[in-house]
Amino acid sequence: MELQILPTSIIGSYPKPRWLLRMYSLYELGRLPEEDFREAVKDASVAVLREHERAGVDIPWDGEMGRSEMTEYFTAKISGFKFYGPVRVWGNAYFNKAAAVSKLEYSEPLVLDEFRWIKANTTREIVKVPITGPYTIAEWSFNEYYSSKEELAFELARILNREFTLLEKEGATFIQIDEPAMLNHPDEVPIAVEAINRAVKGVNVKFGLHVCYSNYNLLADYFDEINVSQFALEFANRGFREMEFLKKLTHGELGFGAVDVHNPRIETPEEVAKAIRKVMKYIEPERLYVNPDCGLKLLDRSIAYQKLVNMVKGVEIIRKELAKEGKESIPFRRSA
Amino acid sequence: MIIPALIGSLPRPVSLSKKLEQYYLGRLSEEKLEEAYREHTRRAFENLRRAGIRVITDGLYRWDDIFNPLIRFIDGVEVNGLFKFYENNFFYRSPVVKGELSLGENPIPEWLNVALEIKEEVYPGAVLKAVLPGPVTLAYHSINEAYESLDELAEAYAGVLAELMKELPVELVELQEPALAAELSRATREKSDSVSAETAKALIERLEKVKALWVVTYFGTPRGFPEGVILNFDLVEGTLPENYRGDLGVGIVNARETKMERRDRLVDKLKPLLRKHGKLYVTPNTLLDFLPESVAWRKLKLLGKLGGE
Repeated sequence: MELQILPTSIIGSYPKPRWLLRMYSLYELGRLPEEDFREAVKDASVAVLREHERAGVDIPWDGEMGRSEMTEYFTAKISGFKFYGPVRVWGNAYFNKAAAVSKLEYSEPLVLDEFRWIKANTTREIVKVPITGPYTIAEWSFNEYYSSKEELAFELARILNREFTLLEKEGATFIQIDEPAMLNHPDEVPIAVEAINRAVKGVNVKFGLHVCYSNYNLLADYFDEINVSQFALEFANRGFREMEFLKKLTHGELGFGAVDVHNPRIETPEEVAKAIRKVMKYIEPERLYVNPDCGLKLLDRSIAYQKLVNMVKGVEIIRKELAKEGKESIPFRRSA
Repeated sequence: MIIPALIGSLPRPVSLSKKLEQYYLGRLSEEKLEEAYREHTRRAFENLRRAGIRVITDGLYRWDDIFNPLIRFIDGVEVNGLFKFYENNFFYRSPVVKGELSLGENPIPEWLNVALEIKEEVYPGAVLKAVLPGPVTLAYHSINEAYESLDELAEAYAGVLAELMKELPVELVELQEPALAAELSRATREKSDSVSAETAKALIERLEKVKALWVVTYFGTPRGFPEGVILNFDLVEGTLPENYRGDLGVGIVNARETKMERRDRLVDKLKPLLRKHGKLYVTPNTLLDFLPESVAWRKLKLLGKLGGE
C-alpha cells in the first residue's frame, strides 16, 4: 500500500462537541438512557471523523469521542481497578486515577466497537487506533495489589496484547500506543520498553509509539529495541528545540508534532512548513509523518480544526517541494 | 511531642476548579470567584481542625503549582510550556528567565490576609504558614537565559523572595525546596548547571533572617542542612541522616499512593525519632496534589491521630 509522502495524522483526542459534553453530564447524572448516550457518542464520532477528513488528514480517528479520558477509559474496562476520585494533572485538568486493588483481568474488549464503527464510517483506507500503553496505565494508577510497578505493567501488557490480537483480526492496520509516562522514571525506561514489546508480541500491524512533554534523550537509546515502526513525538510546544537526539533514529519513522496543542494561537502553514524543513535535517522525508504534538482535546473545537487545516496546508507546501525531487509517495510500512 | 502539620498544597477541589473554569470563560465574576476561594478555604480549615492538623497552609488553592502564579509577578520572567514536575503526572508552567529579576506588584500578602481572617474564625488554634517555592528549586526549574550561572540565578530569586517575605502577614514561611534533595529530574529535562551546596545553604540561611522558615524537601534526602530552620525530610523516598540535629519535620505518610499506612507501624517508626529529637512535626511526604481528595483527607486524619506527647 502506498501513501502520499509526509502522511498526515492525528495523535488521538479532539475537543468534544458541546452538545456531547452535555450528554456526558446528563448520562453521569442518570438522566439519559444508555442507549441514547451511545447514539450521541456515535453521532459525535462521525462528526469528528468527517472534520478530520475535511481538514485533509490522511490517517484520521474520531477524536476519542467515546472516551472520558486516556487512562480512565481503559482502567474502567479492566476488572481489578477501583476509583477513589479525580487527581489534578495541571491547572484545572483532572483525571480519575484508578487504584489496582486486585488481580487485573481482561473482562471485555477495550476499543473494538470504536474501531468497527470508525472503520465502517471513514472514507480513508487507514485509520490510526490510539490506545494507552501498559507502562503509562501502570504509572498513572495507584498500586495497592501488585508487588511492583513492573509486575503491574507486565500484567497490563498481557491484557493489551489480547486486545491488539483482536483488533488485528478485525482488520486494524495501524495502532498507536500512547506512552506519555514512559520516561517519567529514567531508571524504569527498560521496564516500559519490555512492557511495550510484550504488548505488541505476535501482532502483525503497524505500531506507533506516542511520547510527549518528556526528555527524549531517555528514549533515544531504546529506539532500536522497541518493536514499533514509528515514534510520534511532540516538538512544537518546546519551540522545535532539542532535536539532536533524532540522530539516533536511524531506521524507524518519526511522527512529527508540528502544532502546539497547549497554545490557542493557530500556526500558519508557512510556520508548519518551516518546522518540517527543520526536522528534515535529521530525518529524511520518506520516514516522516506529520501530526499535532498530542491530543487536541484541550483546545476550542474551531481552533483545533484550524490547526489541523493549517498543518495539512503546511505539509502540502513541502510536498510540492519534494515532488520536484521526484519524492511523492512512500510505502505503508508495518515494521521498522 | 508530635505535632501534625500540613506541607504545601491540598488537592484542589473539583468544585473550585469548576468555578475557575467558569471565571476563565467569562461566566463568573471576580467577586463570585473570590467568594468561592473563601468558601473552599473555610471548608479546608474546618476539615484540618477536625483532622487535628496543628500547623496549616492555605492549601494553595490559588496556585496552579508551586511556581505559578508567583513567577507571573516577577519582572524578568516569562512563563513557558509545560514540564513534568519530577516523576509525576503533574505539570508546571516553567519560568523562563529573560532578564534581571525583581518583584512586581502581587496579591500574595492579601491572599494570606484573607486566609488568616478565615483561620481566626474557624480554627484560631492553628498556626498558618505561607508557602513559597525556594530559590534553589526555582533556579533548577527555570530556563535560564539571563544569568551567568544557576548560583547567580538562585541568588536573584532569593532576593525576590526576601522582598516578598517581608510583606507577608505571617510569622512562619514554608519554602518548598525539593531540589535540596532531588535537584532536577531527568524526567523534566537534562540538567545543564547546578546550584552549589554552599550557595543553597547560604541563601536559605539568609532568608531565615527575614522570617522563620520551614524548609520542605522531598523525593530524596537533602545533602546539606541549612541552620536555624525546621527542615522537613521525606521518610518515604529518602532518609533522615543520623547527624541531623536541627528542628525536624518528617514526611511519613505517602502522598503518592492511596494505600493507607498502618498507624501502629507509623508509631513504631516515630518512637526512636521522638526519643532523639524530643519534638517533631509529622507531615505527608510531599504535596497532597498527587492524591484524590478523599484519600488525602484520610491520610491527614491518620496524621492527626499521631499528634500529642
